[in-house]
Amino acid sequence: MVERIKRLISDLQDFYLLAFNGLMGIFRRPFYLKDTIEQMDYAGAGSLLIVLIVSLFIGMALSLQLSAELASLGLKMYTGKIVGIAVIREVGPVTVALVYCGRVGAGMASELGSMVIGHQIDSLRVFGVDPIKKLVTPRILSSLIILPALTTIGDAIALLGGYYVAVFVSNQSGYVYWSSIRDILDFENVFSGSVKPFIFGFIIATVSCYMGLTTKGGAKGLRRSTTNAVVLSIILIIISDFMLTRILLYVLGFTL
Amino acid sequence: MIVFEDVYFSYGTRSVLKGLTFKVKESERVAILGGSGEGKTTILKLIVGLLKPDSGRILIDGEDITLKEEDELMDIRKKFSIVFQDGALFDSLNVKENVAFCLREYTKMSEEEIEQKVRELLRIVGIEEAIYYMPDELSGGMHRRVAIARSLAVTKPKMFLYDEATTGLDPINAENICQLINELSKDGTGHIIVTHKLVDALRVAERFIFLKDGRIVFDGNIVELKESQYPDLVIFKKELQYVI
Ligand SMILES: Nc1ncnc2c1ncn2[C@@H]1O[C@H](COP(=O)(O)OP(=O)(O)OP(=O)(O)O)[C@@H](O)[C@H]1O
Ligand SMILES: [Mg+2]
Repeated sequence: MVERIKRLISDLQDFYLLAFNGLMGIFRRPFYLKDTIEQMDYAGAGSLLIVLIVSLFIGMALSLQLSAELASLGLKMYTGKIVGIAVIREVGPVTVALVYCGRVGAGMASELGSMVIGHQIDSLRVFGVDPIKKLVTPRILSSLIILPALTTIGDAIALLGGYYVAVFVSNQSGYVYWSSIRDILDFENVFSGSVKPFIFGFIIATVSCYMGLTTKGGAKGLRRSTTNAVVLSIILIIISDFMLTRILLYVLGFTL
Repeated sequence: MIVFEDVYFSYGTRSVLKGLTFKVKESERVAILGGSGEGKTTILKLIVGLLKPDSGRILIDGEDITLKEEDELMDIRKKFSIVFQDGALFDSLNVKENVAFCLREYTKMSEEEIEQKVRELLRIVGIEEAIYYMPDELSGGMHRRVAIARSLAVTKPKMFLYDEATTGLDPINAENICQLINELSKDGTGHIIVTHKLVDALRVAERFIFLKDGRIVFDGNIVELKESQYPDLVIFKKELQYVI
């Protein structure tokens, strides 16, 4: 038992070191620009389509649910406002992060894991290349850039999906929908929505890289680290989303 | 000069090396023999500082590498050229980029110079035609050759380390690799080759170290090897008896 606690603490320490050094690598030479761009391409261009599809349908479903409920209360004109707030502050960042985690995070963990198993990480170290800087920093940096970008696009598409349902299915006024969206695009909402993807991106990249780099023992080990990367990222995203929401509401002066 | 002084090493709770002591001079041609899982690869990793011993000292040219941090180990690692068991090529890069890896990392060569240097290195190992292949398109033998070419890319090493360079290869490829290893050590550069094939060890080494249960149970030249009656070593030697 004591052994396990000790192991947990030393694992946590390793994780913090990786996260810290990976992040600091952004400011320290050497810079691996090419690797970063390659990662951005993989993470960004590769995830765009799935983010579009997922966001579109989530926006539509949300709008559908709310229109139905609000219509029975005679408050249909609030659909845009509620959909907008939900998407921008909460649903958008979280769904896009989950999609990103399933696609990119899993990819990072399995790629780095197979590099560990194939002694490629050892090769890097023998050649005097710091694996953290060469592999982890580009992945963190690209996630810090790409996830917020994807979230913005996802938000827009979700709102568009919401608009489609509100106007063409629930027969609401398009003008009311958009003007209520415009109203909620104030500093508070946009700020709370745009802080999250940075944090989520950092979590996904560091957790996935850590799991990949600590892979042990063949194909089974690879499976374990990939699964762990996704599961742990998802849990951390959901928990940190709640905490962030709490903090942001407090900082931005909302009363509950 | 590589010196191991009473080195103990374990992976977690599984102890692998139990008190290893030996010295290898730079110009020596050594084979480390032993069954699978006896810790041969582990020894090579300890030499280049990829792993740290639990206790004991490892001196490279008089410097204790067990006390060094990762960034201080760089100068030590430059003294060696190591080829890992499975080649350890970067599988996302083609052969050219694999061999060029260190050139790109450490030199400011132009694209043409790199191409030229890569071709030159691939010619040494005899597979220039594979320059644009991806690692997964290479056969086992080609894989090893590319790995050797890559390890030659930077500076002239003081010593070569090969992990199972010939294992799993057909006799012709194994012979070629052995020739290549001897060729590279012609000018007096030594090497340590780790293997469980005595046949190949005899081709490239003049000193033999036999590992069993985490300890060295035999260390000597060919004459002593012939005479040794150590049970496991006798089994290894049996392999050689079957002459047509
Ligand atoms: N990363 C690791 N984690 C835990 N145990 C390991 C690890 N790497 C190796 N081992 C164990 O350490 C022992 C020695 O491994 P090593 O790779 O040095 O053997 P080897 O002599 O090179 O074997 P082979 O001839 O099969 O390559 C083995 O029993 C192996 O199971
Ligand atoms: Mg081995």
